[in-house]
Amino acid sequence: MDELEFRKLVYANPRDLSQEVLDAGRANPAYQKILDETLLLEDSMNSLVESLVDVPAGLHQKLLSIPQRDGQESGTVSASRTTISPIRAKKQSFFQYYAVAASLVLAVGIVFSLSFNSGPSAADVVFGNELLNHLYHENKAIDDITGGASYTVLGIDEINVSLAGAGTRLLGSQASPDFEVRWANPCEILPAYQSAHLVLQGSQGAVSIIVINNSPVDIQYSIRDERFEGKIMPMQQGNLILVGEKNEDLDHYASLFSENVEWVI
Amino acid sequence: MSETPVLEGNTKQQRYESLVAALYQDVFRYALWICKNKPMAEDLVQETFLRAWRSLESLQNDKAAKAWLFTILRRENARQYERYRPELVDIDSQSVAERDDNEPDSKMDRELLHKAINRLESEYREPLLLQVVGGFSGKEIADILQLNNNTVMTRLFRARSKLKIEFGLDTENGNED
Repeated sequence: MDELEFRKLVYANPRDLSQEVLDAGRANPAYQKILDETLLLEDSMNSLVESLVDVPAGLHQKLLSIPQRDGQESGTVSASRTTISPIRAKKQSFFQYYAVAASLVLAVGIVFSLSFNSGPSAADVVFGNELLNHLYHENKAIDDITGGASYTVLGIDEINVSLAGAGTRLLGSQASPDFEVRWANPCEILPAYQSAHLVLQGSQGAVSIIVINNSPVDIQYSIRDERFEGKIMPMQQGNLILVGEKNEDLDHYASLFSENVEWVI
Repeated sequence: MSETPVLEGNTKQQRYESLVAALYQDVFRYALWICKNKPMAEDLVQETFLRAWRSLESLQNDKAAKAWLFTILRRENARQYERYRPELVDIDSQSVAERDDNEPDSKMDRELLHKAINRLESEYREPLLLQVVGGFSGKEIADILQLNNNTVMTRLFRARSKLKIEFGLDTENGNED
């Protein structure tokens, strides 16, 4: 084992060294010095971390009371989805970004329908939650279209203006007759991701198609709660997300969209 | 691998209470490192557990609870604080100093080390904090940061290289390039 390789293994995880690394250290004083110095640094960092544990008095109790406070809040949320939790209300004047502040209690089941080595990561699960929050609270068109409101069918040029922000466009001069886009806009599910959100008329109500031009997830999985069902699918350069009301044929819309989309970034 | 106790209880409420009891100190400790401000860290932890409570059903593998909470916390921090971060006094440095009144040499070392870690570029500091503060494995860090495992290992290598050079513990080689 050369010295660079030895350093790499020791520095990357000094808490979990293999027998091979330990043996290499014992066999070479220079290597052992590297190891000893690294462990000295590690001990200092651990000591520093431990010294900073000063959890505020009462925090544990505040955290335990969250379900009760949230239950009280939910009683008002059902009448108006704009109620903000006490914690958030306190900060709203301070921080302006509150796009997902008014969350309903969501029971989100995430089922991975296809995985390569493992299921969705913790980040994927959180992303699924964020996505459903977004659909509940930030898009009036979804409730309107599911409720039967009349929205004009958009032309392909209008759709492509919105898709441009996500680095995609639909090919052809007109959308398929089955592909009735009633609402289209760039959207910002998460601050770091450029995305576009289309809302179609499906058989069960509104169908959301969201395109993200960089990838927050890299495996395909499904999301669902008591109202929505959805799929998150990695594509060529981003993710395609479809969410509809229960029992919607999402695969049909996934095919229509993916066969006609072109990445331009 | 971080050691997360299996959450106890059959009801959502019981699972949540078990989650809080097992992990709130770890979550607060990490929040304090990334916020550098105790009131903000406390708010961030409350927001994190509020979101955790609301989507607890989505946590299907209790052993992933810690990584799940840290991921929520990082997202909340990015969403709420990083864009609108006010001028902060780095009170942690004061805290470090206050704690070691009887150990002047140690105080100096800890304070310097604390500042050195905070001076690391975020791409190196983030995996290092997840490993040292969170106790996560390379695989878990890769999942949380959405990087591949080799990238995480390289960044951890470089983070420690930089710290060792700064503290005169490595005069030979701190760069793999």
